[in-house]
Amino acid sequence: MSQTATYNTTVRWKGEHWGRLEMGNGPEMDFSAPPDAHGHPGVFTPEDAFVAAANTCVMMMFLWAAERFKIELLSYECRAEGTKLIELDRTEIFTRLRLCPLIRVAARGDKPENVEARVRRALQSARKYSLVANSVKSEIVIEPEIAIVEQPT
Amino acid sequence: MSEFLETTIDKFIFRVAADRLYRPDGVWAVGAESQRKWLVRVGLTDYLQQLNGDVAFAHVKPAGTMLAAGDEFAELETIKANVSLFSPIDGTLVEINPDLDLSPEVINQEPYGKGWLAVIEAADWQADRAKLLDANAYLTAMRAHAEEELKKS
Repeated sequence: MSQTATYNTTVRWKGEHWGRLEMGNGPEMDFSAPPDAHGHPGVFTPEDAFVAAANTCVMMMFLWAAERFKIELLSYECRAEGTKLIELDRTEIFTRLRLCPLIRVAARGDKPENVEARVRRALQSARKYSLVANSVKSEIVIEPEIAIVEQPT
Repeated sequence: MSEFLETTIDKFIFRVAADRLYRPDGVWAVGAESQRKWLVRVGLTDYLQQLNGDVAFAHVKPAGTMLAAGDEFAELETIKANVSLFSPIDGTLVEINPDLDLSPEVINQEPYGKGWLAVIEAADWQADRAKLLDANAYLTAMRAHAEEELKKS
């Protein structure tokens, strides 16, 4: 059961504070550092990538969990925020990732409190089984807003 | 309060309750005599629940179902798999854990306690118990299974 898989990306310097990223799954894009770290605005950054990696991975795992928990998902949107700490020795670390998903699900005739309990359990499972969330040492906090819709339109 | 045998495999700690008997595939049974009947409480082991992940739904056959040892008496839907569970004894299902409906996560949280699955009125507990493993024998079987799983990497 201790199976392994590998994923890859390639980065290439394009001059000044610019790079080109090739992702193993196909997309390519330019990247830089954030403007406050001598980079450029309007492009992909490692900081965004880190926060996005956790956010996208938890969402994909939640979609899987919602299917297993028989949740009729109507919408999911999640803002994620990473908090960076600059240490005394000037090293930097993401100490905290805060995910705030807005989740709408259909009640399908079930009691709203039961549906909400299932959504919360599915979220816990998504956090537990998310590859990326499992791989980072930042504290991960998920603060969901859950709406149970009786009759979706 | 149960006492436990404990073993570490890879980075995982597994507990085996010392006060009950086991099918090699991870269903436990503990008998109690009541009014000249043997009522046998059954559940799944810590190893089996960890191996299969967070439980989303637990479907136990209804009270009154007649079982032969080896018959399927329950199915678990977990975040990762569907798991069939087989009766350790001959008998009749007389009670289903009422918590499983709304809180099946108790199976993960307390597999030897609040996460019990059902009570079976044994047809011949003394005969059936002789065919089951004690805690030490189950621990050995469980370790062998886990080591086989690890070799699949």
